[in-house]
Amino acid sequence: MSYLEIPLWRLSIALGLIALAIVLSRRSKLGLEREIFIGSLRGAAQLIAIGYVLLLLFQHQHPAFVFLLLLVMLVVAAATSARRVEHGPPWRVLFPRALASIGAGALVALVPVFALVVPPKPWYDARYLVPIGGMMLSNAMNCVALVFERIFASAATESDQIEALLSLGATPRQALQRQERTTLRAALLPTINGLLTVGLVALPGMMTGQIVSGTAPEQAVRYQIVILYQLVAVAAVAGICAAAFARRLLFTRRAQLVLRPRPTQ
Amino acid sequence: MPAPSTPSPELLEARSLVLVREGRRILDGASISVRPGEAVAISGASGSGKSTFVRALATLVEPDLGEVLLGGRDARTLAPGAYRTRVAFLAQQPAIFPGTVAENLAAGPALRGASLPAERALSLLAAVGLPEAFLLREGRTLSGGEKQRLALARALANEPGILLLDEPTAALDPAAGELIVQLVRALAARGHSVLMVTHVAEHARLLGGSRYRCEAGKILAELA
Repeated sequence: MSYLEIPLWRLSIALGLIALAIVLSRRSKLGLEREIFIGSLRGAAQLIAIGYVLLLLFQHQHPAFVFLLLLVMLVVAAATSARRVEHGPPWRVLFPRALASIGAGALVALVPVFALVVPPKPWYDARYLVPIGGMMLSNAMNCVALVFERIFASAATESDQIEALLSLGATPRQALQRQERTTLRAALLPTINGLLTVGLVALPGMMTGQIVSGTAPEQAVRYQIVILYQLVAVAAVAGICAAAFARRLLFTRRAQLVLRPRPTQ
Repeated sequence: MPAPSTPSPELLEARSLVLVREGRRILDGASISVRPGEAVAISGASGSGKSTFVRALATLVEPDLGEVLLGGRDARTLAPGAYRTRVAFLAQQPAIFPGTVAENLAAGPALRGASLPAERALSLLAAVGLPEAFLLREGRTLSGGEKQRLALARALANEPGILLLDEPTAALDPAAGELIVQLVRALAARGHSVLMVTHVAEHARLLGGSRYRCEAGKILAELA
């Protein structure tokens, strides 16, 4: 084996870092101790669980299991990005739209890459589909959550502008154009910044992991380049889909802005 | 774009508008008919439904029952953008878009891919009593009364026949408010149909046309 194994007792030493964060939180009166503690346990539990799931998947390679896991990841991602959207419609309205946006983004980013760039053998090899799929779903989830959060909030705070444009004859697309553009820029910028700083500031997790586990650095780098490009595509497609869904939810068929309590005088 | 043409307003009617929100009947059979070139003032207490009524006429809210007709045609059969360029609406505190006064004036035509010639922009400013020098000023730096006049000029750039105004003087000092009413009155005299909602009885009188009051979601004719 070409990498250092981490026995559990050494893993537990890493908990000291969490203890440090908790102490700092308490001393600075941030009130985040509970969140940090629960988050660290939950994160570890989820990762250990997925570790065993992956182990099972690798041992019993079957396309149905691989796609079932990806489907579960997609549903969790959509459910997470659709919750707690202030000024927005309820979860049950946003969830299917989040599902479609994240699904579309992931499909666009994954299918061509697995077909042409990194063709796994067998084609449903969980070692490739699950981690790379997970990264795409996670980026799409963050992007969609940000789009929903910002677009409904800005439509609520800038409803006067939007209605002024509608009153001048604007279509919903024209009336919401500024808010949509600002939202999409904000949603895409973290991914684009990632492109600009990668290698200079951050060595991405997947590449680091591959190098640590013995992959030749130049191959690990190629993988990472593909991943970065996929992340840009997934953010763009998922973000634009989510913005289009939000626009449809914000206006009636008769180009009337909804979701804002109307003056009743 | 040609020089300001004579407005050709059409008959605007609301027939038995009903609008219920959260169990409350905000409009309860509200009707009105605004003939071409007519000036109409609607007054009423806060909460009487007058703002919602004018917003329904502007097709910014959809009544649950009843219909709005423009030139005898149900507004729902017209494209929203086409209706709203013929029937302009001004909110109580109109939103001024980022950019200069000139860019604000050109906003309506720009939505249809048209430009606003400089001489037309100047004539619009003159129509609302703003000096030429304002063209290059940042729209958002204007005073409340100036913003209201800019919004009026911006709406006129679409050459609408009908102007709907929701409490245009409510956020202004008395002098600025009176000036707006006089401008609106002058527009009516030039052939525009005007419907102005106001809670200031003096402004309703100053407009000089038909007067109505809104009560519990109904529009009632005021006795002269």
